[in-house]
Amino acid sequence: MSSRNKVGRKGGLLVNSLAICWVFPVYWMLNTALKPRKDVMSATPKFFPSPPSFDNFRTALTQTNFAEDLRNSVIVVGATVLIALALGLFAAAALTRFKFRGRRTIMISVLIVQMVPPSALLIPTFLVFNKIGLLGTYLGLILAYLALVLPFSIWVMRGFFLAVPVEVEEAGRLDGASQWQILTKILFPLVAPGAVATSIFTFITAWNDYLIAYTFMQDQSRYTLPVWLASFSTPDKGTDFAGQMAASVLFSLPVVIFFLFLQRRLVSGMSAGAVKG
Amino acid sequence: MSLLTKDSRPGLAAPGTAPAAPRAGQRAPWLMVSPSLVVIGVVTLVPIVLLAFVSFTDYDQRSLFTGVFGWTGVDQYTQLFQDSAFWSATARTFLFTAALVVGSVLIGAFFAYLLTRLGTAVRTVFTVSLVLAWAMPTVASSVVWNWLFQPGYGVANWILTKLHVFGDLTNTDWANDKWLAFLVIWLLIVWQAVPFIALTLYAALTQIPGELTEAARIDGAGEWRTWWSITMPILKPTFLLVTILSVIWDFNVFNQIWLVSGGGPGDSTSTLGVYAYKTAFVGFHVGQGAAIALVTTALLAAVSWLYVRQLVRSGESL
Repeated sequence: MSSRNKVGRKGGLLVNSLAICWVFPVYWMLNTALKPRKDVMSATPKFFPSPPSFDNFRTALTQTNFAEDLRNSVIVVGATVLIALALGLFAAAALTRFKFRGRRTIMISVLIVQMVPPSALLIPTFLVFNKIGLLGTYLGLILAYLALVLPFSIWVMRGFFLAVPVEVEEAGRLDGASQWQILTKILFPLVAPGAVATSIFTFITAWNDYLIAYTFMQDQSRYTLPVWLASFSTPDKGTDFAGQMAASVLFSLPVVIFFLFLQRRLVSGMSAGAVKG
Repeated sequence: MSLLTKDSRPGLAAPGTAPAAPRAGQRAPWLMVSPSLVVIGVVTLVPIVLLAFVSFTDYDQRSLFTGVFGWTGVDQYTQLFQDSAFWSATARTFLFTAALVVGSVLIGAFFAYLLTRLGTAVRTVFTVSLVLAWAMPTVASSVVWNWLFQPGYGVANWILTKLHVFGDLTNTDWANDKWLAFLVIWLLIVWQAVPFIALTLYAALTQIPGELTEAARIDGAGEWRTWWSITMPILKPTFLLVTILSVIWDFNVFNQIWLVSGGGPGDSTSTLGVYAYKTAFVGFHVGQGAAIALVTTALLAAVSWLYVRQLVRSGESL
């Protein structure tokens, strides 16, 4: 690369300050989380946690409903991911490997359904769940999350199936494999990496949801982690910022790790079909 | 291919054809696709029909317990369209969406351009910074933002005061001032939206063959001219895509507004989504909330249509 293609010294300074700006909020969360409690609220901010302390993490982990809410999150998000994966795999396979009447209609419907804003589903779903007693239940929240992720899962996994050449199936057929075997022994393993990536998307969407969980799980024992995180701020007692920042770190960690690994795939996956942000 | 194959394995793609190959009227694909269709029907289609239904009733808090409600026809809509709060929420939503989309797409494009000009090491640092911002769940970033802009102890207030440009901002309560609340939420959303846009555009930029821009340079085109005449036309589809996605996302923003300002002070940062939520779940005028939500969905559908068209045009065969 010629020097002309790189930014000069001034440009380098600009890029560095932009990078600092972009990472600063993340740094400030970590910094606050690691500060001794007495240094958190100080008129002159302390830019380094000295000495670093894990007290805030301890408080967030032990003196709140963390364990319970983590369990709620894991159950609901886990079930959502597994169901969306299973249903999505079969639907995407059917839509790409078979030609049948109604295929195109289904495909367009899936695409359109994906556009329905989650906030519009909130009111009617709340009313129905209230009527049939699903408010505050795991099943209710799982169903609501499926509305959020299933059309998207089908749409994205469809892309991975399309990438598998027909010849692979033919080879299997020549070897005498049944339709079911071709599907489960040949196609599914081939799309597995794509299915994993899609599932991580699903995981992130469900893991991050605040609005639905906050509205549906009105009982504190059924809160999920996003609601737990927001509940560090209470109108009467104010906000425990130190605890909240430690909690934010804990809550963001799995998502951040997935993002760092999957960044490239996320870019293509999101432009391929993510409509719900 | 033998007859036997044809008969015993109906449905799978025939050799030499596209993946979605012939033969209609089979049960297998329907068996495979119907569980998804049932779930989507139950969790999305039924609620949407119900939303429309509820918007023609006077469903309220009492109805939640008794199940009793009255049919009001189009009253909710006539009321809504006469309500100045609805119109200001609509105007606010459009203006705010525009401000967010313009901000994030412009900054995103600038960052994408910068990324192409960086050495590997600096680029990695920059990319990681962007990915970290992008990866934060919105609930986490919203609470961090509240902390950054906390009156008295917020580091943003402290830094701005130290700059000596705006005077003493130490005790400024951002969430309690109409314009400052918007500004803070704008910063938060743009901060998180830019990484996706920058990295998507950067990915597209790296696909442009170097010879093209090289040739333009040899012909004497400057930096700006090369960008405008060579890069932009090639990037256009990607640009359009991220812009439409941004419109859809920004139109639907809820968490950040709710957690930073709660839609306040008063109703001043209530976009349509927040307004519908407050009407339905805080004031418990569920019927009215449903009407707002349905109008919002219709507005969004118009934008989404552009997106579907773009997808189809960009070669996604249905």
